[in-house]
Amino acid sequence: MKRYEFNEITIMQYIFLISGAQIGIGILSLPAQLADIANTDGWIAIIIGWLISIIASTIIIKTMAKHPQDTIFDLSRRYFGRIFGTLIHLAFVAYALLASMTVVFTAIHITQVWILPNTPNYLIMILFMLPGFLITRNGVRVLARYAEFVFYLTLWMPILIAIPLQKGTILYMLPILKEGWAPIFQAVKTTVLSFLGFELAFVFYPFLKEKKHAIKAMVIANSISAFTFLLITVTCFIFFSPDETPSLIWPTLSLLKTIEFSFIERFEVIFLSFYLFVMSTTGIPYIFTTVFGVSQLFGKKDHTIVLIIAVCAFILTSFLYTPSFSHIQTMGSWWERYGLWGAYIFPIFLFIYVSMAQWFQGGKKK
Amino acid sequence: MNGTQQLLAHSLDANEQTLRDYFTKTPDLVYCHLLIGEPKKRALLVYLNTLVDKNSINNNVISPLLFETRQINTIADIQLPIGAKSYATIWEHVIQRVFQGETALFLDGDDHVLLLDTQGWPQRAIAEPQIESSLKGSHQGFIETYEKNIALIRRYLPHQQLKVETTTVGRRGHTSVALLYLEDVTHPEVLQELKDRIEQVDVDTIVNTGELMQHIEDNPFSPFPQFLLTERPDAAVSNLLQGRIVIVVDHSPSVMIGPMTFITFFQTVDDYSTRWMIASFLRLLRLLAFFMAIFLPSAYIAALSFHYEIIPLNLLLTIGESRERVPLPPLLEAVLMELAIEMLREAGLRLPAPIGQTVGIVGGVVIGQAAVQAGIVSNIMVVIVSLTAIASFIIPNPDMSESIRLLRFPMMIAASLFGLVGMVIGFMLIIGHLISLESLGTPEGSPFAPARLRDWKDTILRFPLWMMRTRPLSARPTQLTRQKKFRK
Repeated sequence: MKRYEFNEITIMQYIFLISGAQIGIGILSLPAQLADIANTDGWIAIIIGWLISIIASTIIIKTMAKHPQDTIFDLSRRYFGRIFGTLIHLAFVAYALLASMTVVFTAIHITQVWILPNTPNYLIMILFMLPGFLITRNGVRVLARYAEFVFYLTLWMPILIAIPLQKGTILYMLPILKEGWAPIFQAVKTTVLSFLGFELAFVFYPFLKEKKHAIKAMVIANSISAFTFLLITVTCFIFFSPDETPSLIWPTLSLLKTIEFSFIERFEVIFLSFYLFVMSTTGIPYIFTTVFGVSQLFGKKDHTIVLIIAVCAFILTSFLYTPSFSHIQTMGSWWERYGLWGAYIFPIFLFIYVSMAQWFQGGKKK
Repeated sequence: MNGTQQLLAHSLDANEQTLRDYFTKTPDLVYCHLLIGEPKKRALLVYLNTLVDKNSINNNVISPLLFETRQINTIADIQLPIGAKSYATIWEHVIQRVFQGETALFLDGDDHVLLLDTQGWPQRAIAEPQIESSLKGSHQGFIETYEKNIALIRRYLPHQQLKVETTTVGRRGHTSVALLYLEDVTHPEVLQELKDRIEQVDVDTIVNTGELMQHIEDNPFSPFPQFLLTERPDAAVSNLLQGRIVIVVDHSPSVMIGPMTFITFFQTVDDYSTRWMIASFLRLLRLLAFFMAIFLPSAYIAALSFHYEIIPLNLLLTIGESRERVPLPPLLEAVLMELAIEMLREAGLRLPAPIGQTVGIVGGVVIGQAAVQAGIVSNIMVVIVSLTAIASFIIPNPDMSESIRLLRFPMMIAASLFGLVGMVIGFMLIIGHLISLESLGTPEGSPFAPARLRDWKDTILRFPLWMMRTRPLSARPTQLTRQKKFRK
């Protein structure tokens, strides 16, 4: 039974959907966090985090491949029965909601700090919800096309970020392993979380057309993200030095401040406005997952009504509540704590459970 | 007469009476009584004087009938030097054909009527296309007669796989609509979808192709065109070969082509007859023009009202100097000038040529130095408005150019409310809309989203012709190979 046939996405779209979800807001502050914990060796943590996330995503794909037409919502119902299945379903929806809230509020906060200091946050929220609504409404296929298009559209951005590399001092990267492996492993916890986004494979895998390449696709998606993280972190280290980087809240943006042309100044304003594209490919898949999950809970095929309610709720929230920077950081750390369980530990548990269940059922048949 | 499904009578007088009852107040309907054959037999020739070729009737119908010496018993005995003829027994057919300029020949004692193709009506000679002029392509443009238009296309493709299917649209107009396609290339599902949509159209008549286009397009709430209208046969043929379907509508000089993709509206047939580097450059230029036409005025507004810090100091001083005397905020200034130039364009379009020049001169003064000296707008604004206008003229397709001109205004408002962020969100909305837009069920955003790398050879750049070996996937062709690799 092919439930999601109409909404099939290609392997390329799948890759860009996942890597688009991974590269978003985390990257803006990642170099600072890494330099804080591991100093010069922060970049090694990214490579380790990359390997771990590949393993985790492989486990997810292996689990999902047992029932190629099921999303996590169908799967939880299938294996955990009505009550526990619904609980897991709800937990995943709550996770996606938390993630989308964090992304949207961080995007608003950054926009307010850097570009529009005098605009009230509910106006920006309304503005952000317009494309969010338009793209989410049309389902996975349009979502995937959007991610793909944005990928091509933003290809110039990493090149630009690499410009300060010329002015940097490569000696800042030394010494390697100056305090041994301990701080690196501490930093891995941070890097692992910046790879969050691959767990959306739980939802998007059934829509993939060529499922046999799914693992390869996950590896490529993770690699694209890892490459971007590495590029930016190394650039920050070389340019600012690992000692100075932690003093900046958003080192990636500070990096851009130094780029100057004879005809445009304050280039980071333009860059950051364009960066909204990158943030949108992080936020919109999570919004979609939330809305899709809720409408699945009620057994509805069309998610437009839930989407309208969600968009209204988002706007209403922004009317009543203006998060400060520390609130946003708290929200982010909740997401990360939750994500550690949802994206790394839960898949392993699920994989073992599903394999065992199948093994037992297979045993019964014999 | 009640019910045109009625059959004809055997008696000539009865038939004539029926005709006279039906065609009241039709002074151009000619009843020509004749006695033909040996022995003489009564016959009646009926035609609409205004829609026939009189020479043809006199020489090829009346003259041979008058000199007929054989015995005529039934209508089938009549031999006339006219190729296209048919018989009818139902009034509805007779009346419809007469209205299309055919001649009906009634014979006493026969309930069949002979319909002769004697059409001839005022029509324009084939001339150079007015809207889409070409440098290197053919200089023949479509005209208002659809047979001639089909002929123009067939001249390029004398091949049995070029199929023509005709149907009529409209209860009153019975407008003939012909679908042309290459049977071994066009996807049957796309074709069926198009046929179904045309069949559902239930209107009085189709006056112009643009009306039919609006009745059958996928998303009527989109600012972007989903079908291509062209008045150039070579453009139609080029699209046929890419697996698309050409829709020729009678009495309209433009044909409709679908399914299209967004990027095809920025291409012309001339691109293919120009050397590839130059053609690619022109395409890049058009893409740049697209962004300029949409974003340039809004970028000005955003920079002046929100982000003056991105403008380098020297430039900022110049702008400040030129805006010193201007009382209007940037948005109002820009909207005012943009509206002025839109009005100028529209005025120039509708006015006859001799007066049209006046508009140019007057407009040049208004949107120029005088406005600046009067202190209404700034110098920079004049430059921006002119650049925007030129950019929108570069877009080869008039429908797309109009969409872009329209989109500029919401973009300016967004820029004045939210600065660059507003512009980016506007751009996001355009992209979000474009990637969900479909033309005849095929994605309009192709080959970018969904990405079809193989199609990229004929989009932003135009690769050398010998490398374009496949047809674009966006039209879902059933036969992909266009040419073999014959050049090393």
